[in-house]
Amino acid sequence: MTIQRWLILAAVLVLCLWVLLPIYLIVVSAFGPRDAVFAWPKSFWPVDFTTETVAFFFGAQGVLSGLLNSILVALMTMVMAIALGAPAGYALARFAFPGKNVYRLLVLMTRAFPIPVLAVPLTVRFIEFGLYDTLLGVALVHTALALPFAVLITSSLFLGIPRELEEAAWTLGCTRLQAFRRVVMPLAMPGLAATAIFAFIVSWNEVFAATILSLENRTLTAFLISVLGESPLYFKFAGGFFLIVPALVFIFAIRKYLFSLWGIASR
Amino acid sequence: MRSARGLVGVLLLAGLTVATAATGAETVFLSSQLRPIEEAEKVRQVLLRDAPVEANFITDEPPMVVNRMLAEARAGDVSVGLIGALHGELQPLVEADVLQPVDDLMARLQDRDFVESFVELAKYGGDTQYFIPWMQATYIMAAHRQALEYLPEGADLNALTYDQLRQWGANIQQATGDRRLGFPAGPQGLMHRFFQGYLYPSFTGGVVTRFRSDDAVAMWEAFADIWEVTNPRSTSYAFMQEPLLAGEVWVAFDHTARLMDAFRQRPDDFVAFPAPAGPQGRGFMPVLAGLAIPAGSPDPDAAAQLIDYLTRPEVQVNLLREVAFYPVVDTELPTDLPQGIQIAGEAIAAQTAAPDALPSLLPVGLGEREGEFSKLFTDTFQLIVLRGADVRETLDRQVEVLRRLIEETGAPCWPPDQPSDGACPVD
Repeated sequence: MTIQRWLILAAVLVLCLWVLLPIYLIVVSAFGPRDAVFAWPKSFWPVDFTTETVAFFFGAQGVLSGLLNSILVALMTMVMAIALGAPAGYALARFAFPGKNVYRLLVLMTRAFPIPVLAVPLTVRFIEFGLYDTLLGVALVHTALALPFAVLITSSLFLGIPRELEEAAWTLGCTRLQAFRRVVMPLAMPGLAATAIFAFIVSWNEVFAATILSLENRTLTAFLISVLGESPLYFKFAGGFFLIVPALVFIFAIRKYLFSLWGIASR
Repeated sequence: MRSARGLVGVLLLAGLTVATAATGAETVFLSSQLRPIEEAEKVRQVLLRDAPVEANFITDEPPMVVNRMLAEARAGDVSVGLIGALHGELQPLVEADVLQPVDDLMARLQDRDFVESFVELAKYGGDTQYFIPWMQATYIMAAHRQALEYLPEGADLNALTYDQLRQWGANIQQATGDRRLGFPAGPQGLMHRFFQGYLYPSFTGGVVTRFRSDDAVAMWEAFADIWEVTNPRSTSYAFMQEPLLAGEVWVAFDHTARLMDAFRQRPDDFVAFPAPAGPQGRGFMPVLAGLAIPAGSPDPDAAAQLIDYLTRPEVQVNLLREVAFYPVVDTELPTDLPQGIQIAGEAIAAQTAAPDALPSLLPVGLGEREGEFSKLFTDTFQLIVLRGADVRETLDRQVEVLRRLIEETGAPCWPPDQPSDGACPVD
């Protein structure tokens, strides 16, 4: 093997450890006995596998419903972000209209306002609209946060799909919609999947809006932030474990679309 | 792909139904206290199980509790039935006129024998009762048994002085090579309470009035000496139970709830004892949490019933047993308490009953600017102790910040400062 190859291997190894090591340590601590968390020096290998902490955690009121709420809110966010963002991205990519560049910039503005500043007024409005303490309300805010990315990612995505393909479909008898559905969509799928992941992760990780806008229907992140700040270390590890696992499962489920996105990128 | 789409649809539908079905008849009990997951579960499953009304115990970080109540009041649609929070956290709500006065309820609960000073605190210097005392805690010291053999000659653990604490830390450092005193001086720690309720009263007999006195200069110099034998990682500690359990720290100061895990997990390894005393006495600070009913509460009667229930002596003892917060009503404590609570309880009793005890209150009358008051102390600490600034000069500069804050809020003196007419004078 050449030196170059060794170097690449080493880089791959470092990158993998970079991601996997913290996850490994969280899992070991979450499933270890409680005093092992405080033990020093720490043992790298798992000692005495026990599900005590995780089981208590899972049984605590609010964890299971929080998990379900988080998944629902993230899925709603994903669907709404794509449903609203993809058409906007398509329009930015295919049509020339006055104010296009300004619009492209303005889309980012929603990210410019820190939510803590908006907290009280936003909550007041949501109570008035009857959206307070509903999953839909939280998902709407998350959609607003995810939309800029959705619009910008999909617009560059549609830009990368040759217009000629679409035009060819038109000449062969497709309507604009049919051409989009049968020609553009399949090519855009990996990119849309990436956008979906992005929206999902934005929603999954968002804490502040989810906390202030919900009371009895908390997402898992909002629940954890209100509970874990003052909990002992071993529960923090258990909480971390519960936050990581569903996100990992989701990314694994959707990874084949991502991989084909890289296929397009290297074309 | 098709099945995935179907799944999304089903989940969305489920989400909407879950979201609409959640408004039950139970009273929402929103609390900034007892947030740790085990404590919250105990409240739900042990303490509230026999309550006369169904309650949904929900916890939120303190600023969130305040923001939420302000928002609900402004929207005119209150869903929280009962609030449980610290005296200082409820104050902004009192000022925003969000709480319903509870004088009637207080009159009905006369048989409870509440600690008189707590009842007064709940009036915020006026005549109206804004909350009912719920539970109390305080700050004490904890030490690993290994540290005890290094106690200075002739020192009594229950009557320690700050000078002996420094000597103790120095002895430990000499013997083990490590600095093993510890303070919660991290960003999430409660170090400011140490200055306001322990160090200042012990050395100067006051907090506001004596801020820049000569006694205060001597105090900061003495504390800088103590810091010399303190674990430098103290500036990142938040909960002293963690470095204690990890063995990084052998002697620590913190809130009882933030030490409890050490007493609970290894009752044979740790001892609790009162805070040290200075020349003016043994300053200490009780912390009070109260129960308040928001104006426009969906069911004020249910909230009143919950308060009635939660302040019963037997429920208060249960609260102590389960979550280690101490009763606010005069009641006989049972002898079969869990070991950790027993350990801390004895230290609290010794601290309160010490002949030189000098109780200090949390700041009163500063309203939402209490954060600035706390920052004043941590800033002064950082300047003098961490950066080695000149004590006299620093205090002369910082006292202006204090004077402005007190004058702008018009806060009268609170114990241990002598009562004042109008804003508390700063010497």
